Amino acid sequence: MNPAIKATLLVLSALVLLALPLWVNPGLLHLVGVTIVMGVFAVAWNLLFGYAGLASFGSGGLFSIGAYFMAVMLRAGWQDGFLLLILVSMAAGGLVAFLVGAIALRRSSGIYLAILTLALSEVLRLFLMRWHWIGAEDGLPNIVRPSFSIGIARVDLSNGHSYYWFLCLACAAMVAIMWWILHSPLGRTLRAIRLDPERTAFMGVNVYGYKLAAFTLSGIFAAGAGALYAPWAQIVTPDLGNMTRSVQPILYTLLGGASSFWGPLIGAFSFSAIEYATRTLVGIQEIITGAILLVIILVFPTGIAGAFSRFVGALMPSEPSSRHGSSVASAVRTETP
Amino acid sequence: MLFAIINSLTTGMAVFLVAAGLTLIYGVMRILNFAHGAFFMVGAYLVSSMVGQAPPSTLALAAAAILAAFIVGLFGLVVQRVVLKRVQDADEHYMLIATFAVMLICVGVVKLIWGLEFLSVSPPPGLEGGNMLGPVFVPTFSIFVIVCGVLAFLLLELLLQRSWAGKMLTAMSRDRLMAQLMGLNVPVWMMVAVGCSFALAGLAGGLLLPNQTLSPVLGDQFLLMSFATIIVGGLGSIRGAFLAAILLGLIDGFNAIAFPNIPGVGIYIGLVFFLLVRPNGILGEEQI
Repeated sequence: MNPAIKATLLVLSALVLLALPLWVNPGLLHLVGVTIVMGVFAVAWNLLFGYAGLASFGSGGLFSIGAYFMAVMLRAGWQDGFLLLILVSMAAGGLVAFLVGAIALRRSSGIYLAILTLALSEVLRLFLMRWHWIGAEDGLPNIVRPSFSIGIARVDLSNGHSYYWFLCLACAAMVAIMWWILHSPLGRTLRAIRLDPERTAFMGVNVYGYKLAAFTLSGIFAAGAGALYAPWAQIVTPDLGNMTRSVQPILYTLLGGASSFWGPLIGAFSFSAIEYATRTLVGIQEIITGAILLVIILVFPTGIAGAFSRFVGALMPSEPSSRHGSSVASAVRTETP
Repeated sequence: MLFAIINSLTTGMAVFLVAAGLTLIYGVMRILNFAHGAFFMVGAYLVSSMVGQAPPSTLALAAAAILAAFIVGLFGLVVQRVVLKRVQDADEHYMLIATFAVMLICVGVVKLIWGLEFLSVSPPPGLEGGNMLGPVFVPTFSIFVIVCGVLAFLLLELLLQRSWAGKMLTAMSRDRLMAQLMGLNVPVWMMVAVGCSFALAGLAGGLLLPNQTLSPVLGDQFLLMSFATIIVGGLGSIRGAFLAAILLGLIDGFNAIAFPNIPGVGIYIGLVFFLLVRPNGILGEEQI
């Protein structure tokens, strides 16, 4: 797709998201916040699937590790170092992912890896449900939205919509970092591994090491999404890591398109929109969601992003005129701060 | 102790009834069917509608279960035609997602028809209460479940190992292309296998109905347990699934005695151990 169109769409959607608290009701805003977090979570999952070709069904476990770390540390009253707490939660997720990956990636792949990660996240969930120090089945409620100081300025996220804007910024930063990582030589190597691990190994690439790196990175950002989620929802429960949660990023990714970096985000928002539109219809919601998924798998295996770029490609089969392209691009450049 | 073992065997056989269909469909289509638990649940709901909250007799329960198996088997044929056939040559992740979508639709239909509230069905007369087996008290329903599990295993083994149809299916799951070259009508046999697999799910749902709490999440609990079972047993192997079901049942029973405050963890730890040490399962053949 034309990068100028892409950039325009990106900036427009970012502006809409930032302006959202001014005109939507709190319930919908909460949903949008959750969707943003889940979008980041899905991008993190796709880092593993779309780039390294590994499907984890246990990413919900990493998400809940991030959320629980953040919840426990915030309830301990360490809100002054909130930014540091995010990094600590991400590091915890990364460490767990590294340890799991170091063993699992040596031994299994494909379906076996999917089930292995699913089992591990279930073990984690069962432990969380029984551990009284962190609230057992009821989880940890009343998580404060922190206020902290950066240098001389004091940031108070506890009132109004400030945490929403912080959430947007933090998620944008995480997505930007992932974009940067995946468009570096690392991302290219991972794609090569997905397409043909054997040949890539013959080129002198340490396939296992790169897969492990992708697994760890995915864990870091999944935990990061969880860490941002905890103060937004203000409660964490063991169900954060259940199978449904682990499957969500997969659905988002496939709905949006696994071959595109932005696919999982598009998928997250489309999925939430469908769920929101059908929220009052018990039962019908699942049927519609399932039917849409089926249609996508059977008809558009490249997801919304793929269908969209094909659509745009059909609209303008030749190279777009350079004047038009550059004018949009310059407009974008002036819009971005 | 004996009581615990019988409890473990009951769990194991209950899971085996569900897992048998799952491993059958894997053997033939190489699909890990996420919708299996959902169809198990549909079977359970169908039977509960047929026999009501208090089934009149064991025979009525069994008849209803067989009827449910038939209906769910027909659903299976529809699913095979509409969905599975189209994705069977796709990447395995897409197959997983396709069956997951089928599962969502199933759960939605169940919620629409039977609602969200919990239903429970008591065992029919003749299966309630218990017997004294030597010094221990054994619920009759446990014995019923164990007998059903063993019977189902023996029947499946007999059919797969001795009958003409079973040999065809085995040949096809070994090497689909070669079977086709030998003149086997693979699409038709595939329909048969998928129909049987779904029918087994429906049958299991009906037989295990008493003493269950029926709710739209029933499928999930059994699905994870059966995944564990067929992987530990070796994907595609009925015999392996049977052994694994007993093993995992015993692990679960041991877990309940030794670590009563974290129930259910043992099975997953066993599964993780097997995946790392012997990923092909107890009786699985080298593949992938």
